[in-house]
Amino acid sequence: MQNGGRTAIACALAWLIPGAGHLYLGKKAKSIIFFAVVTLTFFFGLAMDGRVYLASPEQPLSYLATFANLGVGPLDLIGRQLSYERIIFRVPDEMDRALYGEVLDRTRRRILVPTHEYGTTFILTAGLMNILLILDVFDIGVGRKA
Amino acid sequence: MLGSHILTLILFAGLVSLFFATLSRDTLREGTRLGSVMFASMVGVSLLIAYLMYFFPLG
Repeated sequence: MQNGGRTAIACALAWLIPGAGHLYLGKKAKSIIFFAVVTLTFFFGLAMDGRVYLASPEQPLSYLATFANLGVGPLDLIGRQLSYERIIFRVPDEMDRALYGEVLDRTRRRILVPTHEYGTTFILTAGLMNILLILDVFDIGVGRKA
Repeated sequence: MLGSHILTLILFAGLVSLFFATLSRDTLREGTRLGSVMFASMVGVSLLIAYLMYFFPLG
């Protein structure tokens, strides 16, 4: 397979499963550590009642936070299900009163937990770390890094 | 454990240090050194800032 295709597969794997891109490129020891660190950080965050972000046009920075959350790959879906008991990526329209009220209520319940901010930081950090892993896999794939 | 501020700080610093040490160093010796410095820096600076904040009045 050409180098570009191999790099693309490695990057996709790195996004799907933390550390899988490094495993694909033959870095077994590193991949085990990356998988353990990213998933532990993510689940510690959830255990501390952290939450994943929802994008909202009224809060432009929420798009960046949502992007960082999505960096962790399909694990993000677990975070959304546990945070809001449904898989959503945007703050529901206020006109949809039932859904909007439900999401607001679940958010409020989590915010009231003293460790909420820590947990949310852990979850964001897990996503950002996995984005760095994807970039690292890309650099290794194109030969910029050994 | 997850309710303790200091243990949460140590846990976070440990995970992030291990991540960056593994990401940016290839040998165990170099990685251990970088990870230790990062961990000590994060915990040390956090405690220093926390101590300095003690002098600011609440409210």
